[in-house]
Amino acid sequence: MSIRVEQIQKRFGDFTALDDINLDVQEGQLVGLLGPSGSGKTTLLRIIAGLEKADQGKVLFHGKDVTDLDVRKRKVGFVFQQYALFRHLTVADNVAFGLRMLPRKERPARSAIRQRVHELLDLVQLGHLAGRYPAQLSGGQKQRVALARALALKPDVLLLDEPFGALDAKVRKELRRWLRHLHEQISVTSIFVTHDQEEAMEVSDQVVVMSQGRIEQMASPLTIYEQPASRFVFDFLGHINALKGHYDGRRWQAGNAQLRLTTEGACPNGELTLYLRPHEADLSKTPSDSANLPVKLGARSVFGGTVTLELEALGWPAEVMEVELSRDAWQALDAQPGDTLFVHPRQLQTVTCDGNLGPRVTPA
Amino acid sequence: MHERPRHWHQWFLIMAAFAAIAILLVMPLALIFTEAFSQGWAMVQQNLTNPDMLGAIKLTLIVTLITVPVNLLFGILLAWCVTRYEFRGRKLLSTLIDIPFAMSPVVAGLCYLVVYGAQSVVGNWFSGMGVQLMFALPGMVMVTVFVTCPYVARVLIPLMESQGQHEEEAAIILGASGWQAFLYVTLPKIRWALLYGVVLTNARAVGEFGAVSVVSGLIRGQTLTLPLLVQMWNQDYNTVGAFTAAGLLAAMALVTLLLKTVLEWATQHSSDNATEQKTEQDTP
Repeated sequence: MSIRVEQIQKRFGDFTALDDINLDVQEGQLVGLLGPSGSGKTTLLRIIAGLEKADQGKVLFHGKDVTDLDVRKRKVGFVFQQYALFRHLTVADNVAFGLRMLPRKERPARSAIRQRVHELLDLVQLGHLAGRYPAQLSGGQKQRVALARALALKPDVLLLDEPFGALDAKVRKELRRWLRHLHEQISVTSIFVTHDQEEAMEVSDQVVVMSQGRIEQMASPLTIYEQPASRFVFDFLGHINALKGHYDGRRWQAGNAQLRLTTEGACPNGELTLYLRPHEADLSKTPSDSANLPVKLGARSVFGGTVTLELEALGWPAEVMEVELSRDAWQALDAQPGDTLFVHPRQLQTVTCDGNLGPRVTPA
Repeated sequence: MHERPRHWHQWFLIMAAFAAIAILLVMPLALIFTEAFSQGWAMVQQNLTNPDMLGAIKLTLIVTLITVPVNLLFGILLAWCVTRYEFRGRKLLSTLIDIPFAMSPVVAGLCYLVVYGAQSVVGNWFSGMGVQLMFALPGMVMVTVFVTCPYVARVLIPLMESQGQHEEEAAIILGASGWQAFLYVTLPKIRWALLYGVVLTNARAVGEFGAVSVVSGLIRGQTLTLPLLVQMWNQDYNTVGAFTAAGLLAAMALVTLLLKTVLEWATQHSSDNATEQKTEQDTP
C-alpha cells in the first residue's frame, strides 16, 4: 500500500516540529527517515501511524485520506525503540494480543490464533522462546518479538521508530540485515526512523534526509551519497573535512597550502570553502603541481581494511583532518607519526558563497 | 551498596535507633495488649461482644468499605489524568492532591461541617430531601474519603510516570479500545502499587479520628467508629474496654504493616524486572 504525505505541519508550542512535509512512498518499499535528533522524523512517523495529529496537511494510504481515521482502523504495525512489549505477558501472548483484541465476529478461533502466533514466531526465529517473558529476553530478541507482534494483524503499513536504537553495534548490524531480508520476504510498505547514516544507507530502498522539521532530500542511497541535494545532506552523511581559503580563478589558497583547480561560485572577495571526504584523498611524501597541502601525521586507527589517519595542517589554518587509506596504501606509504605528508584530493565539493553546494572539482 | 558499621559511634547510632523504636513504638504497642488482657480473657470477650463495640466495628467497616473503592477509583482517574495528558493546570492539580496530607483532619472536619451542615445551603437542600449529612454516616464517609484520597494517587503517579505509555500506545495500535488497553495493559502494570495504595488507604480510613470526631457528633451506639469508641470508653474510665478496642485497631495496623511489606517487596520485584530489561546484555 502506497503512502502519501501532503503538506504536513506540526507545532509543539513555539517549536515547529514539521514544516510543510511532502512525501511519497511507493508500495512495497522500505524507506528510511534519516536525521539528527530533533529533526522531526519520529513525529512524522507518529503522524503517519495516527498516534499524533498534524496541525495541517493530509496522510493518504493508497490514495485514501486517512488523516482523521482512528489509529485502530489504519491497519498499521508499529515498532517502538524501547520495544514496548507487554511485560506481564509471555512472548506468545504478546504476539497474540492484537488478534485477541479483535471484535468477536472477526476474531479467529483459539487454535487459529495459536497457529498464527506459531508462524510469526518462526518468521522471526523465536519459536523456541514462546513461553518466556520479555524480561527474560535480550534486546535483539525483544525487538524481534515486537516485530512479530506488529505483523500479527497483517498490517498494510509497517512503521519502525529507531528499531535498533537501543541495541549494541554488533546486534544492530545483524538485525538490520535480517530486517532487510525479512522485508524482501513479506514486502509490506515500511518506513523506519533512524539517526544512523550507515543503517539508513544499508537497509533502505529510499532514504529521506530530514533536518529541522524539513525534508532535505529523498532519493536512493546511492544518489543521496553521490548527488547530495544540500550542504546539510553532504555534511550529515559521514565525516567531512572543511577547507577554508581563497580562490583567485586558478588557484585555491590557504596559508602556504594551495590547489590548482577550475571552478565557479566563489564569493566576490574570493572566499571559497572546499569539502573533502576522508576516503577521497591520497597521501604522499611529496607535493604535486596541482596539490600542495602539507600535513603532520598524528594518531592512526586501524579497523578492518581501512586505516584512518588524523592529520594536522602544517602552516595553513584548518582543523585536524581525517583521511582514510586502504591498508595496502598505508603500508606502501611507510610513514611514522610526526612525519610531514601531503594530501592529494581526488575530488572536492565546493560550497558556494550563498552556502549551497557548488560543482565537484578535481585539482589538476 | 551499604557498608558494615566499623566504629563504636556507628554502633552507638544503631543501638540508639533500636532503643528509640523499643521505647516509642514497641512498648506502647505491647502495653495495649497487656492492658486489654489485664482482667482476663472473659473480660476481653465481654468487651468484644458489647453492643457499642459491635456497633463501632460495624460502622468502621461500613465507612472503610465505602471509602476504599471510592478512593481507588478516584486515585486511578487522577493518576491517569496527571500522567497521560498534558494540560494547563496539570502541576497545580498534582499539588492540590496533597491538601489532605497538609491539612489537619480536625480542620477538614470543621470545613465539612460548615459547608454541609444543616445551616448551610447544601446541607439544607439535602435535609429537605430527607438526607442528613452531618452527625450521621454520610458525613463520616465524606470526611474519611477526603482525608484518605491522596494515597492511591500518590503511589500511582510516580510509577505511571516512570513506566511511560508506549505499551498502551502499542495496545491501541493493535486495535485495543481505551478500556481494553487499561484492563489488559495498564492495570497489570500497576497492580502491586494499586494494592499498596489500597492497603494504605484502608489503614488510614480505619484509624481516622480527628475529622470523623468533628462530624460524627459522637452519638453513642450510632456514630461511633472504633477510634471514637476508644476515646469515649477511656473518658468513661472503662480502661480495659478502651484498650480492647485499641487492641483491635493495633492488630489491624500490624496486619497492614505485614501486607505493606509484602506489597513493597512485590512492587520492587516487578520494577526490578523492568530495569533488568535495560541493563541486560544484548545478544541476538
